[in-house]
Amino acid sequence: MPSIIVSLFVLPVIVSLLLLFLPKAVARVVTILATLVLSGISLYLYYYAGDQPIQFSVPAVVDKVVLIADFALLAYILAQGFLQRNVWVGVLAVLQAIILGYLTMYMPHGEYMQFYVDSLSLFMFILVNVVSGVIAIYSLRYIDEEKCSNFRKKYFLSTIFWFIAAMNLLSAADNLEYFYLFFKLTTIASYLFIRFRLDKESKKNALTALSMNQVGGLAILGAIAYTIFTPGYGVPTISSLLSQVPTVGVIMPFAFLAIAGLVKGAQYPFSKWLIGAMVAPTPVSALLHSSTMVKIAPFIILRISPAIQGTPVATVIICLTAFVFIAAAIGALAQDTFKKILAHSTIALLALMILMSAVGTPVAVTAALMLIFFHGLSKSMLFLNAGVMEHVFHMKQTSSMTKLGELGPYTSLIVAVGFMSLLLPPFGAFIGKWFSIETLGTVGGAVTNPVYKLIGALVLVLIACGGAVLSLLYFKVLGSMISRTGEKDKVKFEKLHPLYQGTMNFLLFSVLLCTVALPWLIPGYFAPVAADVINSGVAVGIEGFTMNIDNVKLPLIPMVAALILLPLGIIVAMFVRFKNVDRAKEYACGEKVEYNFASFYFSTEKATPYFVYAGAIFFVGILLAGYLM
Amino acid sequence: MNNTVVQILLIVLAPVLGGLIYGLERKVKARMQRRIGPPLLQPFYDFLKFADKRKMIVHSTHAFLGIVHFISLWFAVAVLIMGGDFILIIFLHLLSTAVIILAGFSTRSIFSHLGANRSAISILAYEPVLVLIAISAYMLTGSFDVSALYASEMPVLFKMPLAFIALLLILPVKLKKSPFDVGDAHQEVVGGVELEYSGIFYEAVYTAKWLDYIFCYLLVFLFGGANIWLGLLLVALTFIYINALDNSTARVNYKQMLRFCLWVALPIAFVNLILTMFNVL
Repeated sequence: MPSIIVSLFVLPVIVSLLLLFLPKAVARVVTILATLVLSGISLYLYYYAGDQPIQFSVPAVVDKVVLIADFALLAYILAQGFLQRNVWVGVLAVLQAIILGYLTMYMPHGEYMQFYVDSLSLFMFILVNVVSGVIAIYSLRYIDEEKCSNFRKKYFLSTIFWFIAAMNLLSAADNLEYFYLFFKLTTIASYLFIRFRLDKESKKNALTALSMNQVGGLAILGAIAYTIFTPGYGVPTISSLLSQVPTVGVIMPFAFLAIAGLVKGAQYPFSKWLIGAMVAPTPVSALLHSSTMVKIAPFIILRISPAIQGTPVATVIICLTAFVFIAAAIGALAQDTFKKILAHSTIALLALMILMSAVGTPVAVTAALMLIFFHGLSKSMLFLNAGVMEHVFHMKQTSSMTKLGELGPYTSLIVAVGFMSLLLPPFGAFIGKWFSIETLGTVGGAVTNPVYKLIGALVLVLIACGGAVLSLLYFKVLGSMISRTGEKDKVKFEKLHPLYQGTMNFLLFSVLLCTVALPWLIPGYFAPVAADVINSGVAVGIEGFTMNIDNVKLPLIPMVAALILLPLGIIVAMFVRFKNVDRAKEYACGEKVEYNFASFYFSTEKATPYFVYAGAIFFVGILLAGYLM
Repeated sequence: MNNTVVQILLIVLAPVLGGLIYGLERKVKARMQRRIGPPLLQPFYDFLKFADKRKMIVHSTHAFLGIVHFISLWFAVAVLIMGGDFILIIFLHLLSTAVIILAGFSTRSIFSHLGANRSAISILAYEPVLVLIAISAYMLTGSFDVSALYASEMPVLFKMPLAFIALLLILPVKLKKSPFDVGDAHQEVVGGVELEYSGIFYEAVYTAKWLDYIFCYLLVFLFGGANIWLGLLLVALTFIYINALDNSTARVNYKQMLRFCLWVALPIAFVNLILTMFNVL
């Protein structure tokens, strides 16, 4: 088994190197084949890996390679900071180098495994390899339309694959030193991606991303330092940390790890890098937002959730993310650029995932996993769509998309289904949200401490309001891009490039198929992973037409009916044609008016700067809570 | 067994009952204005007349979404009557609202768009309050199922009076009654989303409004608990309250509506949630 897992690390690197040299036609075949193989391996691993986590070590020489790579990457970052005159990037790099150098002298070596693959890692493998692979296939066409040299096109595709490799490594790493390296690798990959267009704005935003994500790296080093120097902890691996929590009872390393995760997850005040990342070509945004980069955040919190559950650290994280959930949704209301709106809603939904992971009850973790999975599918679909809008229809602002319904009915259908799949029954993301509300209610009702009860009630209010703001947001955006006149009654889908059409169709059908398959996916896929995360069983049973997941009930009949009504109803509505019915012009009070009405605008700029400050206070709170414990 | 039969009958007859409520409402409102008002069955006469009109639509997608709206709303009402999960019911209702909002946006009609935008904003006004009421109900009964409220021996009203007040404050938004009828304000946006429907295709949207009555008054009925008579009394009082309010107030704009709901109704629901959590009442 370990050799198959290692192939997930090595194969993308080989493909990435190949893509640098191969001619275009061959590169296409290689990319598609690599995606198929990687997806196949990740699925195979999920089905045949067995229940026991797989632990394996690597030859001692790799330790040295990792150390050298660590310093090499830091040197690279320092050089970038120096060349581009950015003090922060340089200072953070030097700081990390000093701490890392100091820690290396005390690092215990030998006695432990470097990789630890449990079902959460396998879950991440599937998400990372399948969705990122689809995005890679899509970028074959997208990058062709980009104005840049041939080598840079190859370089872009190649970067995608080593990014995938870094993500696979990160999901499997157990040793914190290795974890730090892979964390850093994803940071640098995103840095290279964001500055891909090499204009002034790209370079600036790339540096912002680099400096912010380095804070995450610093936090991981903090975790390592605490592990090494606190008596009783011993080796700096995540699994040994988790196994020793009940006896030692110091949760500072987990507070540090949580901060690393939250930085990657672009929670306030670190949200700026993710929003700035949209200057890059769209597949990058799709990659960062759906399957890779930001999903590190819920992944880390899920990993440490058994250790922090019920501690003040978890409470602060819950408060922070509940706040971010509504703040990011409000921030999105003021935006007009389609990709910025998507970015804000990613931050909001990530906050919900992290919140659920920090709550850590069986249903909460199941809900978090469902949100991670379905958000990955829907968001990548929406972002790929944004790319099509940009390149085919030349639309970036939602206010300029008023003709999309006529020019590109297929594209507007995908946007409609994409948004609804994040919001409404019967889609998986909705069920995740629904479970979140119910499980928060259950937890809030069950705790006895009055302070926790109050916090629970406040969190519920924030979630309820945030959800409503998100639905307002999605309708507002959707509204500007689906209108048609009566003359275009017969809907004819536009022809897109087969690579575009193929990847979008694949994602659309995966969303629909996984929704239909939910009654099997929950007991067969989400619940076992959740059980592994929290180290106890998640009871899933079917009684008549109801599925019980721990103490939450999922009635199946309403779900089936909602399935017929919503996705199918809307798709049928696109094609249905009423015959023998006269067509009428729209009513306009007898006036002859130009149609130029789009949507309400909300100005929330006044409030948004304060969100950053509030977020910063919460971050300090996490450290304080960890320290005082 | 008997119970199930009643429930199924209620579900099947829901549109008819809603029509009757609408007829009664027109009558009561007219009497409040010292008019005689139309006959009780006037909504049904209108219904028959619409069926006879020339068929005209803007485009087929728009017309079809109206029908989907009606069916999904009927379905939400059915789940509510059968005593399903409260949160799910709120979101099924949101689904039906989503469909009509989409329909409103799918034409190039200015008034239809304005109405759809305003409907979307009213979601922000009432949905958080409803979710909080649902969670309070969970704190009270220990189950998210509405059937637990139907079965509650102690009337829910006495356990969470503040939730009832919050519900009363947002009901005009949901029913599109003055002062919160921004969604289909006839003088401003000529009916909003329903404007572009006509003839037989308007029937779906028209009867969906009747179903909305049933949905809202069922939410009120829940507060009676197992005591059916108390529930019916509450419904009757709410009915008079809604109509008196509709008759006596002028429309506010959407910002004022939003502000009122989020700063008055939501805190009341929140206080109620805390009181129920700490088991005060």
